[in-house]
Amino acid sequence: MNKVSRRNLARYAAKRLLGGEPAGEVAKAIAAVLVVDQRQNEVDLLLADINFELESRGHAATTQVTTAHDITDKLRNEISGLVKKATKVDQVILSEQVEKSVIGGVRIETATRVWDKTAVRQLNELKEAF
Amino acid sequence: MLLNNMSLDFAQASGGIGAFNLNLKSFLFQLITFALVLLVLKRWVLPPLMKTMENRRLALEQSLADAKATEEALASAESRAEQIISRARAAADEVLVEARKTAEGIIASAETAASERAALIIKDAEARLDQERQALRTQLRAELAELVALATEKILRKKLDEQADRVLIEQSLKDLA
Repeated sequence: MNKVSRRNLARYAAKRLLGGEPAGEVAKAIAAVLVVDQRQNEVDLLLADINFELESRGHAATTQVTTAHDITDKLRNEISGLVKKATKVDQVILSEQVEKSVIGGVRIETATRVWDKTAVRQLNELKEAF
Repeated sequence: MLLNNMSLDFAQASGGIGAFNLNLKSFLFQLITFALVLLVLKRWVLPPLMKTMENRRLALEQSLADAKATEEALASAESRAEQIISRARAAADEVLVEARKTAEGIIASAETAASERAALIIKDAEARLDQERQALRTQLRAELAELVALATEKILRKKLDEQADRVLIEQSLKDLA
């Protein structure tokens, strides 16, 4: 029996989610397919594909925000507004991560876009410019 | 002896011839003997002798002619040998001149080739030096960039507190918008 491709699986999951089905049910179905096909190690990739499908269809954008310090609500709202405008989605889901290695600034990552305005990125660009 | 006596008597008897004291018989006998000897000589001795002498004369003349011819041949051979030697000397001189020219040509072309090769080696060395210089420059630049980035990072970590970071994020979001 041929295995279903990850992309097709993601499309299927997105379709069911956008159809209003509970996320838990969809997750169980997907998990069953992965277990049967012994593809448990593809979970992270599949989730990224599902996020991509949801964002492409304008439903929701799962956004990873990385900063060196905690951000305020004001900044959260601004980031959400920026992502919503850029990806043309109905909903923005923010996931925050504090990482001292970025030194300062912010990195915003969605399934389809990345904005990196961290200090460490600018330092690397400076090194490369030399 | 008897004849002698007879002749003596005859001589004494004759008046005119007897005055010369000649013995006629003896004279006749000697004359006959002389004639005989002459005849014998003429018949048997003289021809071979003359022939022999003639042969010898001819031989001598032939020898002289041969000697002369030999001398002439020798002179001619010497002259030819002299000519051959002259020609050989001239040819040897030409060969020497040619060899000298060829050697000079070879030396000149070897010098040219050597100087061209030296120029190529120098050019190659200069090109390699340039490359190394470029590589060093690039390496130095990279190290300098690394140091600058490191220094900047250290400064930023010290200076960029939470408040400053928020201001930086706001500025970045404004730029993105």
